[in-house]
Amino acid sequence: MFDQLISMVFTTSFGYSIIRITSPILFAALAAVVAEKAGVSNIGLEGIMGISALFGVLFAYWTNNWLVGALGALVVGAFLGLIMGFFALKLKTDIILAGIAVNLMGGGGTIFLLYLFTGLKGNTASLTTPAMLTPRINIPLIQDIPVLGPIFSGHSILTYVAFLLVFVVWVLLYKTATGLQIRAVGENPNAADSVGVSVLKIQYIALAISGALSGLGGAYMSMYYSQSWNTGIIAGRGFIALAAQAMGQGEPVGAMLSSLLFGFASALGNKMEGMPGFSSYLVAAIPYAVTIIGLVLYAAATIKRIKKTRK
Amino acid sequence: MKHKRKFMFEMIRGLAAIVIAIAVAFVLILLSSDSPGTALECLLIRPVFSGGSLNVKSIWAILGRMTPIIFTGLGVCVMFSANQFNLAGEGTTMLGGFIGGLIAIYIPMSAGLHPAVCILAGAVVGGLAMLIPAIIKVKLNASEMVCSLMLNYVIMYIILHFLNNTFADRSKGSTQTFPFLETAKVAKLIPGTELTWGFLAAIAATAVIAVFMFRTRWGYAIRMIGINESFSKYSGMKVGAIIVASQVIGGVLSGMGGAIEVLGRYSAFLWKELPGYGWTGMTVAILAKNNPIMVPFAALFIAYLNRGCELMSIYAGVPSEMIDIIQAVIFLFFAAEQFMAKTRQKIVVKDAKEEMREKQLAAEGGNV
Amino acid sequence: MGEQEYVVQMKGITKVYPNGVAANQGVDFNVKRGEIHALMGENGAGKSTLMKMLFGLEQPTEGEIFINGKKETLSSPTAAISKGIGMVHQHFMLVPNLTVAENMVLGMEPKQKSLFLDYKKAVEITKEYAQKYNLQVDPDAKVRDIPVGMKQKVEILKALVRGAKILILDEPTAVLTTQETEELFKELVQLKEQGYTLIFISHKLNEIKQITDRMTIMRGGKSMGVYNTADVSKEEISRLMVGRDVILTVEKEKAVPAEVVLKVRNLEYTNEWNKKMLDKISFDVRKGEILGVAGVEGNGQRELVDMLFSLNTPDSGAVTVNGESVMNKSQRKIRDLGVSLIPEDRMTFGIAGSGTIEENLMSDRVASKRYNKGPLFNMKAMHDDSDQLIVDYKVLCKSRKQQVGMLSGGNIQKVVVAREFSCNPVLIIADQPTRGIDVGATEFIRKKLVELSRAGAAVLLVSADLNEVMELSDSLIIMCNGKIAAYFEDTSKLDDTIMGEYMLGLKQQGEEEVRRVQHEA
Repeated sequence: MFDQLISMVFTTSFGYSIIRITSPILFAALAAVVAEKAGVSNIGLEGIMGISALFGVLFAYWTNNWLVGALGALVVGAFLGLIMGFFALKLKTDIILAGIAVNLMGGGGTIFLLYLFTGLKGNTASLTTPAMLTPRINIPLIQDIPVLGPIFSGHSILTYVAFLLVFVVWVLLYKTATGLQIRAVGENPNAADSVGVSVLKIQYIALAISGALSGLGGAYMSMYYSQSWNTGIIAGRGFIALAAQAMGQGEPVGAMLSSLLFGFASALGNKMEGMPGFSSYLVAAIPYAVTIIGLVLYAAATIKRIKKTRK
Repeated sequence: MKHKRKFMFEMIRGLAAIVIAIAVAFVLILLSSDSPGTALECLLIRPVFSGGSLNVKSIWAILGRMTPIIFTGLGVCVMFSANQFNLAGEGTTMLGGFIGGLIAIYIPMSAGLHPAVCILAGAVVGGLAMLIPAIIKVKLNASEMVCSLMLNYVIMYIILHFLNNTFADRSKGSTQTFPFLETAKVAKLIPGTELTWGFLAAIAATAVIAVFMFRTRWGYAIRMIGINESFSKYSGMKVGAIIVASQVIGGVLSGMGGAIEVLGRYSAFLWKELPGYGWTGMTVAILAKNNPIMVPFAALFIAYLNRGCELMSIYAGVPSEMIDIIQAVIFLFFAAEQFMAKTRQKIVVKDAKEEMREKQLAAEGGNV
Repeated sequence: MGEQEYVVQMKGITKVYPNGVAANQGVDFNVKRGEIHALMGENGAGKSTLMKMLFGLEQPTEGEIFINGKKETLSSPTAAISKGIGMVHQHFMLVPNLTVAENMVLGMEPKQKSLFLDYKKAVEITKEYAQKYNLQVDPDAKVRDIPVGMKQKVEILKALVRGAKILILDEPTAVLTTQETEELFKELVQLKEQGYTLIFISHKLNEIKQITDRMTIMRGGKSMGVYNTADVSKEEISRLMVGRDVILTVEKEKAVPAEVVLKVRNLEYTNEWNKKMLDKISFDVRKGEILGVAGVEGNGQRELVDMLFSLNTPDSGAVTVNGESVMNKSQRKIRDLGVSLIPEDRMTFGIAGSGTIEENLMSDRVASKRYNKGPLFNMKAMHDDSDQLIVDYKVLCKSRKQQVGMLSGGNIQKVVVAREFSCNPVLIIADQPTRGIDVGATEFIRKKLVELSRAGAAVLLVSADLNEVMELSDSLIIMCNGKIAAYFEDTSKLDDTIMGEYMLGLKQQGEEEVRRVQHEA
């Protein structure tokens, strides 16, 4: 059985599915990175993803155009980030609590919104048309390379956007003036404030970017991964992204590696599910358990490192 | 700020938050319902009055619905008081219900003892599960929040595994366990209603937790750690142990609530997803401002709204999930420190001026 | 010139904070162009609040502000900066993980293609200003890695690069060594000569006399008037500041030291940035005596206190109290040995701000028999004892139920002291016990400390306040660079010039001399 598993892991389809599963988490993990760098913990990622996933589908449905849908999801995500900002920054709701509120809204609230806009209950499968789904892209040259081609080519356009965004977010944080201000605000808001950097403005910007990124993650889920929106569509991916951010030390590349780890665990679970002797439920628990273990290992390593440098 | 004025201000502030939430609900109802009048009536009045008389059955139902969210609300109160953002109330509620349910099915006992053992077992496993995020937090300084969120899913899937693969009653159409033994059920307080003895247990738990938090050294330590951890350590409190304890207590309460809910409301275990009480418990704790004594009142309010939304979906076709939006709005405003801050500042300035004047008067009086 | 000679005019300023504290009441404050103007007053006199309003960090509840004769609303630091006002804060407003150059340009970043940060340009700007004002800094170093003196230079440069013509310096010498202070003063005079106006907040009389032209003195949120520095004596200033002559001496009988209570041997500690903070520290404190620890801050005093209370673990060495080791013991166990600590950072360690006075007075003793009946608190005993402590320690408050964080600094410290002194300590570690609090509270606390030592407690007094440590201590050690630089058995014959030389590392006693502070083998 173990051999069987090994042989499954070393297939191109396995590599392909890691990337496919990683994509939405990567969006949200980058969202968490940007917010955290500015000193705000965005735990509303889960809710933002769910709501923008819904609006992505709705916009795409109304225009029969996936691009409008994806951009709509992005805008809705950014908007939700700003709403969180309004409560957390302006009205001083604890940012964690504001995040929980957004998640509440992303739970039952989306069902209500769906009904409000379409009269449907629970899912949008009946609305889906091919034009609403984000297209797959075959990358010239790469698609013809053996092994690499089947792994890296043929993903949703959003997948490539996600990985490109790792670089974009890095540039944003480390090579732009806004990024400098974001890092300053996150590390010492008083210092930033004292030189006239508006802490509020920067945190609003960070939350909007964070919301927009997770909005794209939501769009990926409803407009590609699941092909439609349904109630439990995000299934904790926003939370996992938080873990990926923490494990990735709050850096874009680190968050990407942690997201890939989750993608790997998840893909492995999916492979095992098809095999006799594995419970699909236990397999479904693997990514979450792996995340806990990853957090533990990372935290233990951090403590060890501190002790070591002390010596 | 003078005590009375401050209290009044907080009351008004809370009411304003609720009014805003209800206003949001109005707008949503107007947008989504063909008969907004009926919908509003269902939301606000019918939970207690219908057809010109008290809706007794509905009132019992509301009290019944309060039970689990009082438990999770209390649990969140204790954890938030210690500044622990542990969000595993969801998972531990489900776990408590599941384990309590299994004992109710497979271990025969006498009628008086059986539910007690089931509930106790639910409480214990709830507490044990919370040890995971708690110990990881204390020993490794890893975020209890992220860990507890993941834990919810792990618990849920493990339960679903056993529910489907080990304990399922194949004779039933949907996935559920075999029925609970009659001896194990939490008895109805009023026959034919949703109100069980569990409600009294919840009220008793409220009293116990209130006394625990304000009249014992452990509750004191939890509150002080929540305010200032460094201070508590320096004062000689066992910070690590207390942090673990606060989360375990949170788990015990939600596990207990889960078992009581399952054994009082259903005849077999049939939850196929996280029950949602953990999140509602958070709303309850926020409304109660982490004060255990206020938890039942907050729970009453939420249960009332919940019931209203349910009636609305039955009679006016508005999805009952609107409750989540209302909850989120209340949640946001209630937790908003600066909401109506300008009014507060005015009161403070007024107070300070009065005080200065009083002092001056006293000083002048002294000179005469 | 008339009104025009004033660059800053603040008229009738009143500020009431959201917690109800009226920090400023009808204050007038005027600064002439090109002068160094001292703003003096004790902590809590309202100086910082006034300056925060001038820098746009706070808004006045009432009153008007004129800059260069024009009425202005300074709604934010940005607004203040645009009017040519710069501030060097007491706690540096720098981002540790950014480089000096990045800190310099934060908020006014040079850009490439209107989006990207032009880091090279940032370095150039830094170098240019450093040269122009003769303030040498390393543009590429991360701020967390540079010494305090350089951090302050970065702060001043930051203000200058933003076009400040009026510089507010909030207690700039508090963190500096004497040499660094001298250097700073030279730089400030140079700036004055180049036409800058400087507002210098301080409560150190010598410094004020040395470099300022005029001064405004504040007391209890009100202005006590404006004076030419040359025209007032130190004694007069002090009287204006505190309303009576400062009683700096505390009457005390000669100590009769008995057996050793605290024994510290060969403590060594290297911090996470590989700086040796404690280097073979050994000393004893005996029953009935006050041993002072003097020194410029940051020379290992904080680390030493942390080790004594087991808040940190040394790399090697031993600490015992009455023969029992405190190493790796919990704070509970250490307190049970009879050790009490007045922490340096009272807001972080001393109190739980949103807790009540009672809760804060009881924090170390809630588990004791006296306050428990079975599992429950004995509320009556708690209330009685809290009320008594409030009376005994003269805590000014409405009731024991008041939030501790709402009290003034002096009263907060009295709450801390009431707790730490009322637990029958055999050893009191007092770390900067009177820093930043009013004279009344200071005097009260100092007297109590002497009282307790004469009653038989061993006292270790760590203080950066030279006056305090010289007045109160029976004997003292001076710490410099993590070492004991000197031990003086009798403080009555000491003078501050000699101490200064040891504190700044110009002198170091021989091993034999230092070893005299070890009274036991």
